[in-house]
Amino acid sequence: MTTEPAPPTSGPPLVRALPAEAYIRMTWVLRTGLVLSLAMMGGALVAYLVANPGASSSSILSANPILQYLSLSGLASGLVSGSITAYLTVGLLVLVATPIVRVASGLYYFRRAGERTMTAVTFTVLVLLLVGVLVIGPLVR
Amino acid sequence: MKALSVDVELVPFILLLVLVAIAAGLVGSLTGLGGGVVVIPLLVVLFGTSVPIAIGTGFVTILATSSATGAVYVRDRLSDLRIGMFLEIATVPGALIGATVTVFLSHANLDAGLLVALGIVFLAILPGTVARRHIDVPPPLPADRRSRHLGLSGEYHDNATDRDVPYTAARTSPALGVMFGAGVVSGLFGIGAGVFKVLALERYLNLPMKVATATSNFMIGVTAAAGAGVMFAAGYIDPIIAAPVAIGTALGAMAGSRVLPGLRNQTVRLVFLPVIAILAIEVILRGLGLA
Repeated sequence: MTTEPAPPTSGPPLVRALPAEAYIRMTWVLRTGLVLSLAMMGGALVAYLVANPGASSSSILSANPILQYLSLSGLASGLVSGSITAYLTVGLLVLVATPIVRVASGLYYFRRAGERTMTAVTFTVLVLLLVGVLVIGPLVR
Repeated sequence: MKALSVDVELVPFILLLVLVAIAAGLVGSLTGLGGGVVVIPLLVVLFGTSVPIAIGTGFVTILATSSATGAVYVRDRLSDLRIGMFLEIATVPGALIGATVTVFLSHANLDAGLLVALGIVFLAILPGTVARRHIDVPPPLPADRRSRHLGLSGEYHDNATDRDVPYTAARTSPALGVMFGAGVVSGLFGIGAGVFKVLALERYLNLPMKVATATSNFMIGVTAAAGAGVMFAAGYIDPIIAAPVAIGTALGAMAGSRVLPGLRNQTVRLVFLPVIAILAIEVILRGLGLA
């Protein structure tokens, strides 16, 4: 790891370009996350429609299946038992996780470049995102 | 506009959701407002979903559209990753606070108040969408100390003029303040709040319009992930509603980004913005118990 240069107090701004690899990797993360989540949700949605021919809009609006899958154990048992809504939920989770993975990859590149301040900033953003899902959401449920 | 008062069979219900979401993704992409501004009022007004579920679905819409269109901006290096990551330190806490407040308001049975506020915010952001700055590349301003320290500058290749355009971020403190506010609005209402983000990037950081738009799009996904995380863990995202909406808006946004180059932005905005204004008014009336 290289040492972060001291901040200049005047003169032209310090230009530090991220490597092209960072842009390529983040584009890949966005595309892969989107395609994976849409494929999972699309497949699970078709399966849900086939498996529930007699269901109606009121049954959907009155019950939210995600409540069963808010814990890791609930989601795991739903997946093991082949519950279609559990697979729909995983598709949604992949979509939510895509920007978080993108932030994590940014953290990797800033750390590799030895930029301590940007590493700290990106790490803080990543921690805040995880706090939202793992702490704040369950607390206010 | 009346909600689906009769019990509809599942297949037509889901197909209608997908079609509405495609239209929302298309309109959101063409107007630059994002899909959430169209989807959220329609979910409440037409489909009769609860307000927090509509807001939770709004986050999913943003995630789908920003991933669909954001990948192109990142690939073309129009999104400034460094500036985007730096500003997320303000938008993410804002979104966490906003989404938490929404959950508490819903717990307190204040959905009606949330609806009125939602409609007012939608109406408030519409003028900002029409009155966009016409300066593509602003005259340079001196970088502040923080901007120099973090190297918040760069350049992009402008295909229209076939030249490299350098830029430097200025006035980072007020930009952080506006970004925090944008995060709160995004978290409260499940929208991207791109109008506020672009405002901070253009007016305070003094970035060129193309970089501001692309960086805003890059940031919107992360801000939405913060709000979506809270709403998901709080149980306010319904996968059977959110999945068809996510698929539809992603398809609509991709179609919109293909159609957009052949259309005049201002004309498109003037055509669709009255529709969104009507939806916003309908949401306010519903919140007030008048619809």
